[in-house]
Amino acid sequence: MDTLALDAESAAWLHGLQDHSGARDGTIARLHELLVRVARGEAARRRARLPARATEEVDDLCVQAANDALMAILAKLHTYRGSARFTTWACKFVILEASARLRRHAWRERKVELDDTIWDRLPDNAPPILERLEDDQLIGALHRAVAAHLTTRQRLIFQSVTMEDVPIDVLAERLGTTRGAIYKTLHDARAKLRLALTNAGYGEHAHD
Amino acid sequence: MTDYRLDALLGTSGRDPGCDAGLDFIDEYCEIVARGDPVPTRFADFLTHLGNCRACREDTEGLLAAVREEEDRKAR
Repeated sequence: MDTLALDAESAAWLHGLQDHSGARDGTIARLHELLVRVARGEAARRRARLPARATEEVDDLCVQAANDALMAILAKLHTYRGSARFTTWACKFVILEASARLRRHAWRERKVELDDTIWDRLPDNAPPILERLEDDQLIGALHRAVAAHLTTRQRLIFQSVTMEDVPIDVLAERLGTTRGAIYKTLHDARAKLRLALTNAGYGEHAHD
Repeated sequence: MTDYRLDALLGTSGRDPGCDAGLDFIDEYCEIVARGDPVPTRFADFLTHLGNCRACREDTEGLLAAVREEEDRKAR
């Protein structure tokens, strides 16, 4: 392993988790305790953004997130190189697990579907980003570019993420794919729209 | 119309490594920010991604909060 020089605490964690004597179980228990604590902290930080009905079961989600993060950490222990402290590296896994679960939990009773009426609702119900575009012809140009240049899947992902604030984790779950794949589709759709709008005389965006 | 107004909706056209590649940087980045050190230029693509991806931005904020909380906990 091409490992950077570790601080003493990180080296101790790594040694404890690689120790095949009885000490390993104790280290795993301490790590799990840290992961549960961090997951609960993240849930508390996000609590204001969760619908009231979604605050139930949150503690179970935190424990599940910690369990899955622990498994991922143990499986990927050989990839830890020491560019950050071990605990920070480990906390990354539980933050990702917890935040994805919390976002999906918050959206569990909401539909995700291609809804072209969003364009008609814009004047009365526009997210802040779109409100700033209302005064000129840009919304119309954007709508035309979306219709002309994006595939149905790209339209669903672009409109859901940018216009209806659907988290990409939720889209990934509903569409049976990964967050990375959803982001790639969004990125490609945005690049097409930037090019189309630039060609139509809007903005001065560089092409990807 | 300014580029800023479109960037907010369409993201920026800078190099964006995506969510998976960005995860390789998030822990080191949060420690640098928590220490108050200048962020090296090698994080430029990662920062472009954070500007374009709300989920990764939220996760980074969460990890940074966790790093600070654990440091406070040790100091107590």
